[in-house]
Amino acid sequence: MKKLALAVVMTMASSFCAMAANDVTKSPPTAPYQQVSKLVKLPDFLPGMGQLFVDPATLPAGPFLAYDHDGKLVSTIYMLPIKDLNPDKRFDNLAAPGGNVDHVDVYYNAGHPGVEVPHAHLVLWHVSVADEARVAK
Amino acid sequence: MTLTRREILGAGGGLAALSLSSSAVWSGEIVEIEMQGRNDGSQVWFDPIGILVKLDQAVRWTNLNPGNSHTTTAYSPKNSGRPLRMPRAAKSWDSDYLMPGESFSVTFTEQGVYDYYCIPHEHAGMVGRIIVGEPEANGWTKLAGADDGLPEEALKAFPTVEDIMAKGIVRRA
Repeated sequence: MKKLALAVVMTMASSFCAMAANDVTKSPPTAPYQQVSKLVKLPDFLPGMGQLFVDPATLPAGPFLAYDHDGKLVSTIYMLPIKDLNPDKRFDNLAAPGGNVDHVDVYYNAGHPGVEVPHAHLVLWHVSVADEARVAK
Repeated sequence: MTLTRREILGAGGGLAALSLSSSAVWSGEIVEIEMQGRNDGSQVWFDPIGILVKLDQAVRWTNLNPGNSHTTTAYSPKNSGRPLRMPRAAKSWDSDYLMPGESFSVTFTEQGVYDYYCIPHEHAGMVGRIIVGEPEANGWTKLAGADDGLPEEALKAFPTVEDIMAKGIVRRA
């Protein structure tokens, strides 16, 4: 009986996770996510990243959800100010709603509206390296 | 100083015809400054970063960076209380965010040295310097007021007044 209950709970948890992932796999993701280009003055589609959505309450770190021209999720991006990468600051328990990660990129960004200081982009790609081309332009 | 409202340039924008050379700076045409950046946002800059122009000459900044927004904003107490790094008698300017393809112009009617920055990229050293006419080269920032509060990256990026006076145009190293 205990095994059955555990199986039911695990199935429910698995379904819930799948539902949560489904919520963000297609653009636009549901609230609290908002389109970045409607929050700050930035192009709607950013070459190399895609169309971005973020929950404003999570700024600057994010996660930012990035979609291709067909509205499919391609990556989850975290933006970590360089000045905050120090012994007195931590970024814990950042949400990761995008599902499976194929590979990860980390690179420096000089800043942009919304995160107006130099910061690191930590990119969890949900597509293959070859499919990064979907957001190249 | 005359400020013009933003304008969206059509494809091409005629920029090629206005590419900078020393003679162009002194020809009375609008002087062009490009707002540029790498696609991944790792580097951003004004090109040229330093320039010498005539009194009453216009300068036009255009955002040619497809993946980012930029501003041209004078160092002036009128812009968020920033230190004065331009002639006291001159009017300050702030373009607000320029999207890719947008431009903003200023006509300089006071001789002197003008420093400006890009709001989201000042900490990455995206600043520029314009010299109008033939101002006093030495100690002008001390007289004007200040390095106070400027990020180290910005202070390091300014070309020297002497270099701009000698070359007319200074590009980013």
